[in-house]
Amino acid sequence: MKIISMDVMSTGVIAYYVLIASGDGLFTPIISDAPNRDYADPVPQAIILTAIVIGFSIQALMLVGVMKLGRDNPTLEISEIEKNNRV
Amino acid sequence: MSTITIVWVALPFFLGFIIYLIPKLDKPLAMCGTVVSAVYGVQLFIQQSPLKLQLLDNFGVILLVDSLTGYFILTNALVTIAVLIYCWPSNKTTFFYAQTLILHGSLNAAFACSDFISLYVALEVSGIAAFLLIAYPRTNKSIWVGLSYLFVSNVAMLFYLVGAALVYKANHSFDFVGLKQAPPEAIALIFLGLLVKGGVFVSGLWLPFTHSESETPVSALLSGVVVKTGILPLVRCALVVDEIDPIVRIFGVGTALLGVSYAVFEKDTKRMLAFHTISQLGFILAAPAVGGFYALSHGLVKSTLFLIAGALPSRNFKDLQQKPVDYNIWFALAIASLSISGFPLLVGFGAKVLTVKSLESWQAIAMNIAAVGTAISFAKFIFLPRGAKEGGSVHPTQPGFWPAVILLIVSLIVTNGIYYQAYTFENILKALATIGVGWLAYYFIFKKSTLKLPRVFEQFEHLVGTMSLILILIFWMALA
Repeated sequence: MKIISMDVMSTGVIAYYVLIASGDGLFTPIISDAPNRDYADPVPQAIILTAIVIGFSIQALMLVGVMKLGRDNPTLEISEIEKNNRV
Repeated sequence: MSTITIVWVALPFFLGFIIYLIPKLDKPLAMCGTVVSAVYGVQLFIQQSPLKLQLLDNFGVILLVDSLTGYFILTNALVTIAVLIYCWPSNKTTFFYAQTLILHGSLNAAFACSDFISLYVALEVSGIAAFLLIAYPRTNKSIWVGLSYLFVSNVAMLFYLVGAALVYKANHSFDFVGLKQAPPEAIALIFLGLLVKGGVFVSGLWLPFTHSESETPVSALLSGVVVKTGILPLVRCALVVDEIDPIVRIFGVGTALLGVSYAVFEKDTKRMLAFHTISQLGFILAAPAVGGFYALSHGLVKSTLFLIAGALPSRNFKDLQQKPVDYNIWFALAIASLSISGFPLLVGFGAKVLTVKSLESWQAIAMNIAAVGTAISFAKFIFLPRGAKEGGSVHPTQPGFWPAVILLIVSLIVTNGIYYQAYTFENILKALATIGVGWLAYYFIFKKSTLKLPRVFEQFEHLVGTMSLILILIFWMALA
C-alpha cells in the first residue's frame, strides 16, 4: 500500500513540473522562421523525464523486495512485518 | 584540470560496469577506482583555487570542487579502500564489488555537483546502490531494512524535487545560489529532503535501525560516507546563502544533543555507534565553514569503529562486560574511541578544536555538553575488560580485518597533522578535561543506569509522520 501511495506522490510531483513548464505557453519550442510564440519551457520537462525514470526503477526494485518479503509474511500490515523482522 | 575532473567523476561508474563484463578482475578494478579518487582528493588540497565547471550552458550540470569537497572525497576514498580490503579475502560476489564501486562513484558525484538536479540524480543513484548493498545477504531482515531505507529516502527526495522546482521557477536555474531568491517553502522542502537523507535531528531516526542491522562493512560505508551526501549540500548552502546559516547551526546543535543523549543510554554497540553518527553530523553542521575537516575525521573513526564492532564477541554491552576482549582489538578500539572523544595526537582533537573555534557563543555550551556526552558513551568501549588470547571466547576475526583497521588508524594519525596549530596548552587542557569529566560521569552514574529509551520514533509509520512535522518546522524557521 505504501508503495502505491508513494507512486501517487511521485505522479503529483511530475504533474507539478509539467505545470511549471507550461507556465508561459504551450507550444513546442522549435527553431524556425515562424514568429516567436509563447513556447513551453523545455528544461523542467527534460529534468522530470530523468526523475520519472529514476522513480520507475525504484518502484520496480521495491516491488521485488516486497514480493520476497510477502512470501514469508502474508499480510498487508506494515507493523506486523516490522515486528517479525525485529532483533 | 577540468578534463581530469570529468574523467574522475565518470571513472567509478565506468569501472563498475566493466566489472560486470570481466568478473575476474573485480577486486583490482574496484581498488583502482578508489585509489584514483584518493589521489584526486589529495590533489585538491595541493591546488588551492576552487574550480567551477559549468557544462552545457545555463541549465546544465554545475560542478564545484574545492578543498571542502576535497575532505569529503578523501573520506569517501579512504573508507571505501578500507572496506574493500576488509572484504578482500571473503567470498563476496562480483555484484558486491560492482555495487560498492558504483556507490563510491555516485557519492563522489554528489560531493562535486553544485546544482540541485545533478545532486538529486547522484543522491538517488547512491540510494539505490546502498539499498542493493544492504539487501545483499538476501535474508528477510536485510530486505526489510533496505526497503524501509529506500522508502524513506525516496519520499524525502520527492519533497526535495518539489523544492527544486520552486527554485527553478524563481530564477530559471538550479544553481545553489538560487536559494537566495527562492520562497521559504522551497527552502523548507529542499532542507527536509537533505535532512532526512543526511540523518539529521528527529527526521534522521531511521538511521540507527538501518545502520545497526546491516552487515559490518556496509554499516561502515553507510555511516562513514553515505550520510554525508546530505550534509555537504547543507553546508554548502549555508556558506552560499547567509540567511540559511542560522537554521543549519540550530539544527546542528539540536542533532548533536539528541544523538548523544540516545547514545549515552544505548546498550547495543552498533546502535550506539549509529546514534553517535547522528550526533557527530550535528557537529559538522554546527560550524559549516570548517565542517569538511570534521567530516573527514568522523568518517575515518566511525568506519574503524564499525569494523571493530563487527569483530567483538557480542553486541550487547552487558555481555561484553563479562567476556574479555582480545588485547589487540581492544587497543585499536581504544585509539578510535580516544580520537572521537577528542584526545590529543589524533585527528579528532584537531577537528574538535577547529569546530569549537568557529562556533557562535550561544552554541558553545551545548556543544561542550555534547562533547562530554561523546566521552561518556565511548568510555563504554574503553573500559571494556581485556584479556589474553587464550580462553575459548575469542571471536575469530576476518582475515582482512587487520589491514583495513590499520590503514584507517594510520590515516587517523597522519591527517592529524593537517591542523597542527591546534596544539596550544589550553586546548590540550580543555580536551583532557572534557574526556576526564566524561569518564568520571560514566564511572559514577551511567555504568549502573538501566534506563531504556523508547524506540517509538523509529517505527516505520512514525518516520514519515515526523518528516511532515519537520517540514512545517523548517517552513516557519525559513519564514522568520
